[in-house]
Amino acid sequence: MPFLIENVTTVVLAFFILALLGNLSLVGIVLLRRRRRDRFFARIDGLREQYGPVLEAVLSGCTAYAQGLETLRQISCPDRLFMLEQLCLEKRPAPAQEPVLRRLCEDLGLVKIWQQRLMGQIDQASLREALVNPQGLLRRVKMLQFLIRSKSAENLGLIRHEPSWPLLVKALEDPNPDIRMVAVRSLAAIQHPGSFVPLVEQLHKSVLESAPVLSVRTLKTALVSFPLRDARDLLPSLRHPDPRIRFVATDIIREMVEREAADNPDFLLDQRIMGGEMVEMFLKNLPFDTNPDVRARSAPVIAHLADQRVAPTLFTLLEDSAWFVRLHTVRSLANQRFLPHASRIAATLTDPNWRVRETAVRALRGFGRAGVDLLTLHFLATKDRYSREQVADGFQRTGLIPELLACCVETGNGRETAVLKNLAEMGKTSYMISVIERRKGNAELRRNFLMQFGRYPDPQIHHWVEQMAEQESDFDMRALAQETLAAHSREEM
Amino acid sequence: MELWRQVFIYGMNVFNLLIVSYFFIANGVYTLLMVISLAAVWLYNRRLAYQDLDDIRESPVTPPVTIVIPAWNEEQIIVETTESTLQTDYPELEVVVVDDGSNDTTLKRLIDNFHLVKMDLIYRPQIPTQTVRGFYMNPDLPTLLVVSKENGGKPDALNVGVNICRTPYFCTLDSDSILERDALLRLMRPVIHSPINTVVSGGIVRVMNGCQVRDGRVTKVELPKSRLERFQVVEYLRSFLFGRTGWDLLGGTMIVSGAFAVFHRDTVMEAGGFAHDTVTEDMDLVVQLHHWASKHNRRIRMSFTSDPVCWTECPSTLRMLGNQRRRWQLGLCQTLWKHSEMLFNRKYGMVGNFSFPFHFYVEALGAVVEFLGYFMVPLAIIFGMVPAMLYLLFVLLSLAYGGLLSIGAVLLEELTYRRYPSYRDLTRLLWYAFIENLGYRQLILYYRFEGVVRFLTGYGRWEKVTHVGIAN
Repeated sequence: MPFLIENVTTVVLAFFILALLGNLSLVGIVLLRRRRRDRFFARIDGLREQYGPVLEAVLSGCTAYAQGLETLRQISCPDRLFMLEQLCLEKRPAPAQEPVLRRLCEDLGLVKIWQQRLMGQIDQASLREALVNPQGLLRRVKMLQFLIRSKSAENLGLIRHEPSWPLLVKALEDPNPDIRMVAVRSLAAIQHPGSFVPLVEQLHKSVLESAPVLSVRTLKTALVSFPLRDARDLLPSLRHPDPRIRFVATDIIREMVEREAADNPDFLLDQRIMGGEMVEMFLKNLPFDTNPDVRARSAPVIAHLADQRVAPTLFTLLEDSAWFVRLHTVRSLANQRFLPHASRIAATLTDPNWRVRETAVRALRGFGRAGVDLLTLHFLATKDRYSREQVADGFQRTGLIPELLACCVETGNGRETAVLKNLAEMGKTSYMISVIERRKGNAELRRNFLMQFGRYPDPQIHHWVEQMAEQESDFDMRALAQETLAAHSREEM
Repeated sequence: MELWRQVFIYGMNVFNLLIVSYFFIANGVYTLLMVISLAAVWLYNRRLAYQDLDDIRESPVTPPVTIVIPAWNEEQIIVETTESTLQTDYPELEVVVVDDGSNDTTLKRLIDNFHLVKMDLIYRPQIPTQTVRGFYMNPDLPTLLVVSKENGGKPDALNVGVNICRTPYFCTLDSDSILERDALLRLMRPVIHSPINTVVSGGIVRVMNGCQVRDGRVTKVELPKSRLERFQVVEYLRSFLFGRTGWDLLGGTMIVSGAFAVFHRDTVMEAGGFAHDTVTEDMDLVVQLHHWASKHNRRIRMSFTSDPVCWTECPSTLRMLGNQRRRWQLGLCQTLWKHSEMLFNRKYGMVGNFSFPFHFYVEALGAVVEFLGYFMVPLAIIFGMVPAMLYLLFVLLSLAYGGLLSIGAVLLEELTYRRYPSYRDLTRLLWYAFIENLGYRQLILYYRFEGVVRFLTGYGRWEKVTHVGIAN
């Protein structure tokens, strides 16, 4: 066809008609889709209304199991399996209901189908079914079958079906990354001891391979959820020649230990839980590991060991050359068990790294009154400017200023007053003034503050006194403010 | 005279060629993006069936996040935004609101509402910023920190937030936006599950106008009443559902909306933080990160996911819309110019070879080509260089194809998230998608053209978009 303008016009016209038809088709698809989805949801709602109470009654034990099972078996529709899945797994069951739900899923034949599907045995849907039903489409197109397989793995994890763990371990080697990821999560939910080692192997792969399929975080999340007794299987990882492996293994144990400790404040690790070999590893090898990350992550575990060598080992780590090792160690020492060693923490308030100083302030604050006393003493005694700044920061962040002001009024000239005076000298007066302003009703506090701090050469205090001298409704207080201002002016001259 | 005639004819022919090539390149790439996004978003939506959020919520391994909200004269909405952000469902979360020297009551409203007190805390800036005036905290609400600083623009406010943030990741959130409760969990999912260091994770921004908002949450999704806002709903759907998704799949992400995105703090720090020399600091940072990764030979990933939702207030007047679009176009031109060495540079892979040239030719230069086309082609008809019929058909084809792409975006929405539940809203959306190219597109084109003119004339000021405070 010669390149004539008439031909171009015909081509453009054809494209235009095609685009218009495309518009109309898409509009049709959108509306059709909306109608189908509405029907689908109506069907699910109907099913939920009809069988939801039955399921609820079976799970809570209000209805006899056999009777409930029989009723649920009566559900019949083209996508029965999908509907049953929706019904049974819609809500996360309470722990007490889990065994009943598991049994129900087994007796309804769901577990068997999930297991088969996970292993790739999927009944192929007909073309008609594939066009009518999205689930059918997934069963028909091989490339999409990983969606069904992943969902099956997820379902087995949701009901914590323990006998399925070998299948899930097998799925860890599946070429599809989704199936592998869901298998990891389901294994973490089931927590069968046999699956711990295969998960650790996957972790090694993720750390060492250049293009891993699973992320280290995904695997760590899974391993951390296992009971602490399984951590013994991480011993070979702690001895691994690769420092990254040693680091992730130590970090996993740390997370496990901290989880246990969060549930039980008096938690202590002994050889019965961890095994003697691992305890020795934590006390003798890991604090001296060549990788500072390992040393850092070992500190919180060591802090929970029931052994006399704990405190000296932690004190060694407090002297480490890497700042984050010192930081993790200070954080580990923030436990009432180490209150007698609080002075060692106070010594880190002059650490060259501000993060360590900040953690030390928090740790001491966590010790309550005793810790605050140590902080106060250090604040008043130290000449280290950075350390004073850090403690002042901590006093403010933790809301200690109102407490100090109250004590200052009570005692008149105690240690608290000295702290406030130091803060005023450092120009840290915003919080004090905010407190005074908010407690306008507390005349004694205001008067005391005016008398103690009114003449400080701090611009914020000066501005506050000026305001008092001009606007204060209490005549005596205004006079006092004016007097303070006058004295301040005389001093300046 | 003859020489001038020849030059004119030659010029017109070149321009006509430009117009035709622009049409085919733009629509070709948009079609490609639409097709792959349709498949990818549908598949992603199916994958959500087995991607529970509980394991992220309950895992101790989930990294803590700081949400940074820069605010300048946002007294209408700032309290609601902050309140709703504090309710975000995330295991370890801090919120930093940076008041960028507002001259309204933004700071006062925050102080009063959250009972904040001024504190003299330590500020250790790693990225240089304007002076910080003060920190405001409530010791009983330690997850919220408000910082007041001298006015320095949005990037400066964001840099203050980055300097203060202690968590490995931070999320930028516009002060006129509201996060869905689980949006951050969803946004962090690709970060957590990716074996490659994900330095940027962007989510979808949807139009809040018209929706019902209660207690800082969008409780009922409806289309806005005004036509201008409805057109923007379609535009946002198209831009986010298949624009961003498509580029993400092709590995050519150049734009992540700073209204709602998560960034890896250390990487941003190393890349120098948010730059001040463009008015679209979010796009500039993303391009800068590509640059940084290539220079330092680092393997990084940028991700876009379509299920974490952030609701934002879109401009409701032509003046505000103009301000916004001029700024976007100006920022695009500034960023592309600043990083022009990436154009067709193999070192940058997909971004250098495909995404950058596309943004340069279609998104930046295209505004000029298309705008001038509306004047030049009729001129060509008058001089008998193009048949009127062909021109008319070409314009009709362009409009119909534009409609097809917009309706495609509505289809994508319907196939996946179905946020607009009523039939009435759905049919309206379809109608607005169809007529978007008759008037609205030309209006936006005009603003974009103005943006390019501003770039060429060296105008570089931020234009404020004032919000009416829908969430209030």
